[in-house]
Amino acid sequence: MRKPLLISTAVAFVGAMMLMVVSCENAVKDTTPPAIHEADFLPADCDIYYTGDTLLVHWVCEDDAELGNYNIEIHNNFDHHTHGTSNVDCDDADSGHAHGSVEAAWVYNQDYAIPRGQKMQTIEVAIAIPAEVSEGDYHFMLRLTDHAGWQTLKAVPIHLRKAGE
Amino acid sequence: MYLSSSLCAVLLSVVMASPVDTGLLHIDEVVVTASHVHADPISSQSSVTVTTDYLNERMPVSLSKGLDGVAGVQSSSIGSGQSKPAIRGLGFNRLAVMHDGIRHEGQQWGDDHGLEIDRFAIDHIEIIKGAAALLYGSDAIGGVVLLNSDEPRTSNMRSPKSIGGKAYLFAQSNNALMGASMRLHGSSGTFCWRANATYQDYADFSVPTDSFEYYSYRIPLYKRTLRNTAGREADGSLMLGYSASHWHTCLRVYESWARSGFFANAHGLEVRLSDIDYDRSRRDIDLPRQEVNHLKVLWYTAYCQDDWKMEINAAWQHNLRREESEPVSHGYMPTPPDAMERQFSKHTATLNAAARWNVSARHTLRFGLQSEMQHNRRSGWGFIIPDYEQYSIGAYAGEEWRVRNGLTLHAGIRYDYAHTDIHAYSDWYRTPVGDTAIYQVRSAEQARDFHSLTWSLGVRYRSDGWLLRANIGKAFRTPIAKELGADGINYHIFRYEAGNSDLRPEESYQADLSVGWENRYVEIRVDPFAGYFPNYIYLNPTADYREGLQLYRYTQARVVRAGAEMMLTIRPWQYMDINLQGEYLFARQLSGDKAGYGLPFSPPWRIMPEIRFHWAPSVQSVNPTGRWQGYAGINVRICGAQHDIVPPEKPTPGWWTLNISAGQTIALPTCSLHLSMKAENILNKKYYDHTSYYRLIDIPEAGWNLSAMLGVDF
Repeated sequence: MRKPLLISTAVAFVGAMMLMVVSCENAVKDTTPPAIHEADFLPADCDIYYTGDTLLVHWVCEDDAELGNYNIEIHNNFDHHTHGTSNVDCDDADSGHAHGSVEAAWVYNQDYAIPRGQKMQTIEVAIAIPAEVSEGDYHFMLRLTDHAGWQTLKAVPIHLRKAGE
Repeated sequence: MYLSSSLCAVLLSVVMASPVDTGLLHIDEVVVTASHVHADPISSQSSVTVTTDYLNERMPVSLSKGLDGVAGVQSSSIGSGQSKPAIRGLGFNRLAVMHDGIRHEGQQWGDDHGLEIDRFAIDHIEIIKGAAALLYGSDAIGGVVLLNSDEPRTSNMRSPKSIGGKAYLFAQSNNALMGASMRLHGSSGTFCWRANATYQDYADFSVPTDSFEYYSYRIPLYKRTLRNTAGREADGSLMLGYSASHWHTCLRVYESWARSGFFANAHGLEVRLSDIDYDRSRRDIDLPRQEVNHLKVLWYTAYCQDDWKMEINAAWQHNLRREESEPVSHGYMPTPPDAMERQFSKHTATLNAAARWNVSARHTLRFGLQSEMQHNRRSGWGFIIPDYEQYSIGAYAGEEWRVRNGLTLHAGIRYDYAHTDIHAYSDWYRTPVGDTAIYQVRSAEQARDFHSLTWSLGVRYRSDGWLLRANIGKAFRTPIAKELGADGINYHIFRYEAGNSDLRPEESYQADLSVGWENRYVEIRVDPFAGYFPNYIYLNPTADYREGLQLYRYTQARVVRAGAEMMLTIRPWQYMDINLQGEYLFARQLSGDKAGYGLPFSPPWRIMPEIRFHWAPSVQSVNPTGRWQGYAGINVRICGAQHDIVPPEKPTPGWWTLNISAGQTIALPTCSLHLSMKAENILNKKYYDHTSYYRLIDIPEAGWNLSAMLGVDF
């Protein structure tokens, strides 16, 4: 009667669905975030810099498909928070260096582009440290994307001291 | 026994001064059925009916959580104990929530507030799985949640004059929740009325973890609680109805208020520097927090004459949502003067008319006209959604053809027009650009028109225990203001979100099937579906940075989706049910930057086996409102791993939890008492829900939780 028709409709429907699922699975996709190499990364944990000086950034990034872009941000760590990507907490107060006012703390935030089509890139940036910013503990934050939109973060604790100290 | 009856007596005497006419007014509820195979007798759509007994048994924190156990329905946690429903993985504004015949507005704008509906004021819930644009218009692309309170005509008004009610007390251990709800209803001749009030208060949520990572910051948790997630909620509603021989009319007023804290550590990074002592108390609501007010006035009138039924639904809704946080300077934004970060005030007016004409014994025609007007104004120092007005109108016509006994065909067509006016918004502070400083434009003025033509075809066939339903159709969704006009930093998730003023209405073509079979011992139902979106609106994470944060931009992509739900009930013994429910979903983007990827927050496969014992002695009860009946059940929720991810998601491992529940109804001469208890995740497993926003910051789902509810029907 109607039942064979009914069951064959259901079977055909499910079969068509499975075919669709299987045929869609062929696309290659990037499922891993880009990597920031730990070796020779500058700045290193607890490096000391002086106001008015230059902070030299040197690092290597890599992605299995294609690199995206990056951003460098430097913010004060006067409250001594920690980042998941860095468990080092070097407190400059331990060596007798107190931090300056939060209002005059150094804020740096800059977006950078990586040329298209790269899988590995060595990056060097020189950042001028303003002369009139507060000394103390800072975090150097690096954000890196790959072309697919995955993001990797890296935080490095650094110290900033007044020039001449 | 003595205690129970005196408790009843006390409750009754406190609640009402008039004499109690027991049992003669009892709003009919479907008896607890463990399975959900029984569905709307006429529709060709795959739907599931949820009774209030089912909800009461589950004692959900939110209405959405209560629906989570239904195959094909998910509940996405969005923080602070709030959650939003999703049908087959589609939620937010890909799902229409209809409350007493009117589209419930409000849940679409924010990520972190719930439905704003008192679940104790709801009597029947029906979930339509799959697109249902014909009757419900825009947004019904993933499905529809129909929330209904009893109308005067469906209430069991057997007595000319009667009064009755219900009262509930409930509590939950995880967040020390306590609440009470009360309902009174009565009728006099052709008039009837009902009043509901609910209040609940909860403390910070606890989770089985000591710390978590937020935007690379490692944050410790005090006593394993999520700081500042406490809240309070108060709801009130009133219904007045009048019935005559050919028509009836009903006025309903709903007010829902909630104040809740935002999880302080996952709401921007300023909290690190805050002087607020969040760990002082588990119950206080500090900054950042939200306050939501939803006022809804509905008026419904129906007229029946011969072969005609005509209905008019008119409504006005006002959503007022305030988000407060500590005023802190941000980038170039100076310290704001107060804590009012964002305020949204949205008015929605709705007018719907529908007619049903039984042309002959075999043919029924339906027509309808639906119109809605929205008016949204923002204020505060933060910006996410621009001011806008939206006007929409839709008209539909459908035919139901009863070909022969058991076989019905459905066909319908609908046309919609919507107009959106988005206002410009510029920052209230200057940003240096080159040598000058300007008020940056965050949202440009734009006016858009949207047209959509949709249709559906369906068949329903019932014979010898078989029930087959099949549908194909087209559905649509008008882009919302956020998708068209957002342009700014979302500090909650630390990303820059850019709207896209070129978005077209999102369309979907969907085919779904529901095959069910039942006899005395077995019920089985399989619901497969498949759908294609030529232009799915997707917030795409790009490789670029803007203002120091990763740029996410709204784009449109071709998407295919397919999946199935399965429900099986075996009754080896009259007191025992063995249930097995399962679901699977697959989605792929076929074009754009993310071709080959799935969709965000895709639910993994899930299986829920359950053994349930229930008893209802057939002895003649002393009280017609209740019988000595009870239940006890044990269930396992098994969820697969999700490796089908899109940035910035992480693969989520599979998990399982063990849950038990039990309840008993005690019928007394003047009232009946209901006692129910539920223990969730009794093994205190630590697991992550892939569909939860908290998954992104590695916060596990709640651990062990015990809930209890005491109810009285009089």
